[in-house]
Amino acid sequence: MVTFSSLFGKKKADIERLTAAKDISGLIRALHSSDMQTQSEVAKALGSLGPAAMDELIRALKKKDKENQLVIIQALIEIRDPRSVPVLIESLKDENSEVRWEAAIALGEIGDPRAIDPLILSLRDPDKYARYGAAFSLFKMGWKPPNDVEKAFLFVGMQEWKAVRLIGDSAIPALTHILHDQHSNVRIKAVEILGELKSTQAIPALIQSLADKDSEVRWEAVLASPKCGIKLMHLPRGLSRRPKVTKNPLIAGFLNFVLPGLGYAYLAKWWGVMIYEIDIFGTILLFQYLGEEFSYEALLPIYLLLAIHAYYLAIKMPKDPP
Amino acid sequence: MTDIEAMKNAHDVKGLIRLLDHDKHNIQWRAADALGTLGEMACDPLLKLLVFPRENVRIGAIEALGDIKSPRSVEPLIQTLAKDKSNEVRWVAALALGEIGESRAIPALVRALNEEDRYVRFGSAKALEQIGWSAETDQELAYYYIALQEWNAVKKMGNAATVALIDMLKEDHPAIRTQIVEILGSIRSIEAKRACERVLRDPDADVRWLGVLLSKRCGMPTSHLPIGLSKRPQTGPNRFGATLLNFFFVGLGYDYLGKWWGLLVLEIYLMLVLLGQLRFGAFLTFVILFPIMALFATQTYYMAKRESLLAG
Repeated sequence: MVTFSSLFGKKKADIERLTAAKDISGLIRALHSSDMQTQSEVAKALGSLGPAAMDELIRALKKKDKENQLVIIQALIEIRDPRSVPVLIESLKDENSEVRWEAAIALGEIGDPRAIDPLILSLRDPDKYARYGAAFSLFKMGWKPPNDVEKAFLFVGMQEWKAVRLIGDSAIPALTHILHDQHSNVRIKAVEILGELKSTQAIPALIQSLADKDSEVRWEAVLASPKCGIKLMHLPRGLSRRPKVTKNPLIAGFLNFVLPGLGYAYLAKWWGVMIYEIDIFGTILLFQYLGEEFSYEALLPIYLLLAIHAYYLAIKMPKDPP
Repeated sequence: MTDIEAMKNAHDVKGLIRLLDHDKHNIQWRAADALGTLGEMACDPLLKLLVFPRENVRIGAIEALGDIKSPRSVEPLIQTLAKDKSNEVRWVAALALGEIGESRAIPALVRALNEEDRYVRFGSAKALEQIGWSAETDQELAYYYIALQEWNAVKKMGNAATVALIDMLKEDHPAIRTQIVEILGSIRSIEAKRACERVLRDPDADVRWLGVLLSKRCGMPTSHLPIGLSKRPQTGPNRFGATLLNFFFVGLGYDYLGKWWGLLVLEIYLMLVLLGQLRFGAFLTFVILFPIMALFATQTYYMAKRESLLAG
């Protein structure tokens, strides 16, 4: 019998019951809970079911639901069945970076040598967490890098900066790779080490960093560049290539003429919209009292003035500091 | 690409100058290099470019002048270093003066050591190094080390660096101000005490916190610190402004406070005004809407107040 109270508070009891009944699909449905505690209990429960749960888990993993994927991979770590290796390798290419990270950790835990090549590729992942997971898994599996370039990718993944430094010139490809990292502190570290290598081979990477979107990375690149033999005189031009937010004065002027106020809004003035609203109300009132023709005659010169003002405002806008 | 080589051999100064504003940075770069090899003959046309409106062209011309090393370009470059609006141009001018290596440039470069822009300072310090300058006073030396961001050297100077350090608190980058305040804290001089008030008012919260530590070390009574801290610029939005805006343009006050849905509220409000005017006429609509506007305004005031208190 379904009672009202059984609809609530059933989550907790369910896990045990579902585990006892080996109801795998039921457990997988229970993953939808947003509560981390429940999720990890479900992962343990699924893990305890052992290889019997494999097929359903693998099928569920392929459904690409981020929250589910993470818990299922945890369950797969508990089961440690070699059959999960191919699908985990597939997850290394998932679009979600946390799934990639978790999959890399799982492959390290399972320790199947088939995972080594895909993990080496993951050392070149754009996300630092995924790289970190892959590096530690490879380390755990006792992988020995075949050459210094690969060794550098391994240590960069682990963020063992001192070890990277000792590798020397062969670390340049790995360091160049992380110049695209989305975190500026990672990029700063890479630039710093590139400078310490004092190698002309680092020049292209450093010139690229001079135009980085982050001002601290650019500054670090300025300090590093002369050490690698970039002429000081060339630095200002390198820096002037940085991305700049420039507003087109013509667009600002045109907008202000057609939709008075929105030209200011385009220049990121918060009061632009206010002027726009005032204009709308003003126009409506003028239409009522002066008639259409007179309104236009009165308003056109004002619009022209506003357009010219926005144009000059855009020209005079202060540039981003270097 | 081979074009540039040919132009260089044909001494085509005009053609190369035109390439300084090319779309591709690589070509700008090579054109500037080529101009630099042409020697004195390119000097006059290049000097004319120092006031050219495009930044890229000025940078390229100065790069070339730095390669040519003509003594005639020293005076104009000093002018550029002192007056150009673009930070990069001033920076490259300082570096070019270093390349040319004439001691006439020294006073201008020393003046540039306490520039606001860290790149210009860095360039000037490097240029002075190249000319073989040595500091005449402790203060100059302190500015020099600060420009190079040689913080350990600054620290070793101790009390002699205080004046320069306090002056450089004008720097825009919080990271640099943090360094300066830390060093001032380690020096513990009486002069450093003068900086305390200023540091407590710093726009950056982390620097202000360091300021509290610095003030204690310099022997400022703890009971004075809250007053000092309260003098900091209130950077948050003005709550009276937000209230007024939301009274007259319901929603715009929220927009001003940085809520993305502010404009949405404004649009809904305007729709209601329009519909109300059609249904009840202008006067009655505003009679109905007035209390609503007042309500929004009051709510905005308290919201802005709470947020500014949280921001600390």
